[in-house]
Amino acid sequence: MAGQLIPITLTVNGTTCRSEVPPHLTLLEFLRDTLNLTGSKRCCGEGECGACTAIMNGEAVNTCLILAAEADGSDLITVEGLSAMPYGARLQQTFLDQGAVQCGFCTPGMVVAAQYLLMNNPDPTPDEIREGLSGNLCRCTGYARIVEAVMGAAGDE
Amino acid sequence: MSNADAHSGITHSGIIGRPINRVGGPERVDGTYRYVGDIKIPNVLHTRLVHLDCGRARIHSVDTSAALQMPGVRAILSGKELPASVKRFGPANRDRPILAIDETTFHGEPVAIVAADTVWAAAQGAAAVVVDYQELPGIYTVEDALAPGAALVQDPALRPNSAYKETNILNEWKFGWGAVDSAEADLVVENDYTFPMMTQFAIEPFTYAVEPTSDGITVYSAIQHPNYLQRVIAEFLDMPLSRVRVIAPDPGGAFGGKQHAKFEPLLAYLALRIGRPLRLELTLEESFQAARRTSAQAHIRTGFQRNGTLVFQDVEINYLIGAYEDIAGRLVAKGSYAGGGGPYRIPNVRILARGVFSNTVPSTAMRGFGLPQMNWPVECQIDEAARELGIDPVELRMKNLPEYGEVFMPQDPPADGRWAETLRKGADAIGWGKPLPPGRGRGISMGLKLGPTTGASYAIVRLHGDGSATVLAGTSDMGQGARTVYTQIAAHELGLSPQRIMVVMGDTQGVPFDLQTSASRSAVFMGNAVLRACRDVARQVQELAAEHYKADAVIVEPGTVEVGGQRKTFDQVMTDRFSKVKGEVIGSGSARAEYDETHPLNGRPAFYEVTCTAVEIEVDKETGVMVFHKLVTVADVGRALNSQHVAMQDDGGAIQGLGHTVMEQYFMDDRGRVRNLGALDYRIPTTMDTPRELISLHVENGDGPGPYGAKGAAEGGILAVSPAVAAAVCAATGAMIRELPLTPQRIWEALHT
Amino acid sequence: MSALHYARPESLADAIAILEQYGPGARVLNGGTDLMVRFQKMQVTPEAIVDIKRVRDMSDAIVWDGDSVTIGARVVMTRLIRDERIRRRYPALVDAASTVGSIQIRNRATLAGNICNASPAADTVPPLLVHGATVQLVGSSGSRETPLDGFFLAPGKTARAPDELLVSITIPPHRSPYGAAFGRLTRRHGVDLASINMACAIDAERAVTFAFGAVGPTPITVKDTSGALADHTVSDAQRDAALQALIARTSPISDVRASAAYRSAMLLVIGRRVLAQAQQRRADFDARE
Repeated sequence: MAGQLIPITLTVNGTTCRSEVPPHLTLLEFLRDTLNLTGSKRCCGEGECGACTAIMNGEAVNTCLILAAEADGSDLITVEGLSAMPYGARLQQTFLDQGAVQCGFCTPGMVVAAQYLLMNNPDPTPDEIREGLSGNLCRCTGYARIVEAVMGAAGDE
Repeated sequence: MSNADAHSGITHSGIIGRPINRVGGPERVDGTYRYVGDIKIPNVLHTRLVHLDCGRARIHSVDTSAALQMPGVRAILSGKELPASVKRFGPANRDRPILAIDETTFHGEPVAIVAADTVWAAAQGAAAVVVDYQELPGIYTVEDALAPGAALVQDPALRPNSAYKETNILNEWKFGWGAVDSAEADLVVENDYTFPMMTQFAIEPFTYAVEPTSDGITVYSAIQHPNYLQRVIAEFLDMPLSRVRVIAPDPGGAFGGKQHAKFEPLLAYLALRIGRPLRLELTLEESFQAARRTSAQAHIRTGFQRNGTLVFQDVEINYLIGAYEDIAGRLVAKGSYAGGGGPYRIPNVRILARGVFSNTVPSTAMRGFGLPQMNWPVECQIDEAARELGIDPVELRMKNLPEYGEVFMPQDPPADGRWAETLRKGADAIGWGKPLPPGRGRGISMGLKLGPTTGASYAIVRLHGDGSATVLAGTSDMGQGARTVYTQIAAHELGLSPQRIMVVMGDTQGVPFDLQTSASRSAVFMGNAVLRACRDVARQVQELAAEHYKADAVIVEPGTVEVGGQRKTFDQVMTDRFSKVKGEVIGSGSARAEYDETHPLNGRPAFYEVTCTAVEIEVDKETGVMVFHKLVTVADVGRALNSQHVAMQDDGGAIQGLGHTVMEQYFMDDRGRVRNLGALDYRIPTTMDTPRELISLHVENGDGPGPYGAKGAAEGGILAVSPAVAAAVCAATGAMIRELPLTPQRIWEALHT
Repeated sequence: MSALHYARPESLADAIAILEQYGPGARVLNGGTDLMVRFQKMQVTPEAIVDIKRVRDMSDAIVWDGDSVTIGARVVMTRLIRDERIRRRYPALVDAASTVGSIQIRNRATLAGNICNASPAADTVPPLLVHGATVQLVGSSGSRETPLDGFFLAPGKTARAPDELLVSITIPPHRSPYGAAFGRLTRRHGVDLASINMACAIDAERAVTFAFGAVGPTPITVKDTSGALADHTVSDAQRDAALQALIARTSPISDVRASAAYRSAMLLVIGRRVLAQAQQRRADFDARE
């Protein structure tokens, strides 16, 4: 018996993608396995770690908690499209300069969450950055340098 | 090892010590770095493990018939079907089966594996496997394990030569010196302390793939020790090392949890059996069931003179390990041996340490390797004495720290650092002794870890015809920045810009042997190997220059040769020499520490990793909720090869330490099930749990055995957090808590019940 | 096992027809922040996932009718938190919604979903309870409105029938002065599930209502009839006695998040703080309007 396939069309990093997806497929799996955009990472599968964070229709989301079918019609920015975003390239550089990257597995989700934070609050306080990134776990850095990196990228573009 | 060559020529290029950005960083911030889970293997089948919802069970039968009918399911293997010829494996004792055979011995031990076309199909198949089993009572605590007549966790036949095979004790270690029983003390502090069962929680869950090839097998694993895994697989499959290729992309965090083989042998066996490449991605919950840190319980008596001088240390510590040995023997021995005394001059020390088997998740290495468990009681005792004797805790520690060059453990190298400087720097940075607002408290603590007692690192450096260089080094760069410091060493020695150097790691087919990536060894051992390989290259370039230009050649500074009165960079020499017929220069280097049967640990430590942590916290006494205002770490690193990277390691170690100090723990029920698998109820620090100020400092006196006087770093930051925080809580509230973690509930209980 | 079906109805009638067709085998997918976790862990194995985000009558609007507000089923936490009028009128609800998961979660999670999941620890439920919220449901046998108090039957179980959809939540008007506050206790400072949570409201007649979460199988609403809680001239002992009388109606248990004893003690400690904040907000109410 052939399973259900749901046709979807979405924009990922400015490119329109058409596909047919099974009902159970998550958006994260679709990005990683179908589109080969492996920058978004899988870790907890319950929206705690933020490693899979992308920006969907202007809002940061956990792509592991969204079905690919649900994403039909959406406009998605993943870490692969970040450098084209207003703060993207700057954030990537300040993360490197401040030593905010160690193993790097949380980094893609972290920089995407930081991009979302700055889009909504271009001049955050350190506390606002901590609040804004509290949905992204990092086990290597102790976070202080991540907060510094976001401070360094803040301000009007 | 000889250090003569390692100490010269530091200042010329200025790249040693400079905080250059992490090599490998750009591909991490743009998401293009390929971790093991990002590698696509053609024709691969996805697998899923089947496990039982209890701590221990007898398996009657495994019915795979319904699961085999599911769409996309290609193969299922249960432990019941394993031929007797399939070997067990393990890094020390080969005691672990690739699947549970007759009994599961811990919550999460797999009884079967399902291979299918997709992850979804494998999961559906795994859910359809029917296991007929009987739940059995298990051993879940030290008390249960050591009770007279306790059931045995491990079959004595698995360790026929052990004197302890009829008990749940892996081994007992007795270390010490002096005469504790006859030592006279004015004050004896005696207490019990516990350290929780916790997990490494790398953000990258365990992920593996295995691909049979026409000439052997390729194993993909984010493993810290690729060469160790290669050996385990070769022995498991009876293949020569040369036929086993381990591809080890940089781990997405490891922290000791990724040192040794876990499911690679299972995948290798099944892949060869069915002739298909296989892939296994554990869930985070399963990752929690694959590795954890040993928990521990210590009973400790510490004797002091009235003036604060340490007289004796008498400690008994039981480390609760899992159902298989893994690396526990080494961990318990090394952790308790050095931790028993800490970085202090104690004339009389007696240590009794046990590794105790239990039906729990296999314990393995984690940052600090048995030391955080030991440093917790040892340092708390000093604070307790300081309170009782009315001596300032910093002064009490100062009084007992050995001088530089002083022997403080009779069979080990003398103190190799100015540790009072480390302590003083920590005290100054936290504002020790300055007034505090009500509700706040400060605490300070030291920590000492033995550096590696064994080592074998080999490096190859290829200086190419265009003057660029490739460094082959088998260390795993799991975030500690090994790739970066090897780049800096090679850049300095060969006179190249870092951009012209590529460090290749993680492929046993082309990269030479490294014993392991652990024990803060890589800057020292592999660092020296890389440095020596570079100097081997330099010597050859010198010869080659003399030959090519037909004049005397001397190396005048790293990367520059003077030939016939003219200075030429290596780059120029290489391009001149290899302009017509191409070629390159290949240098090799190694660094080893040999087995020493006269030493209690069979090897003297290459250096001491000494640290100081100081904190300022605030406690809401009504709720027990704690806020961290400031945390300072100070590390004696000999020489920081990259000052920023050293601080990054200490930052990270400190916050991991904060995790087990205030929130991390497994909750197990009376059936041996871990009730908080996964990220929802196993808490690690978030951005909002970190101190408002996190300061990582270091002490550099160029007195280490590594390149340019470096010592290892990266574990120190985690050692001393718990006792410092407990002391601060005591200062803020009057409550001294000896059981970790110091959760709000536990602090509240100490204050109100 | 039958294959999983994904449905994305566009009308309420179609949605309800699918729910009827699959019965208990259907799962409603709204923000998905709870369902997707359990789905991937195979704690739920639905035959059909009914994605209601394109149902025309499932609104993502916040609609005011005088001082009464109706919040559509598709309103996510972030939208609620950003709404200026909600922030002014219902700071306790905003405070609660701000603690639900991370920002990524709050961008997807809906108020309706937080209710329908019926977690005993749901953070937005205590403020809705003290505000006297009602929910509107539509099913095959028509539509109905029911008070939120009484809607929760057991952990994960509400009075919503399998073929019903919760379409909106209404908070009735409150005569000023009125003040409410929300409080919770967690194991860490960042994103966490509540060990206990609660809301308190003090109305114009000085009636005090508390709702407590994570201290029983369902959130519970209790009213102070002693009068001691609204009167800030009473002694601390009298206030605590009145609070303890309310707390006595809870039934906390010990689990991985907290012990029963700690929960009980914290009900009083957090209760005092929440009460004080509600009193303060009530005093400030007119100034804010």
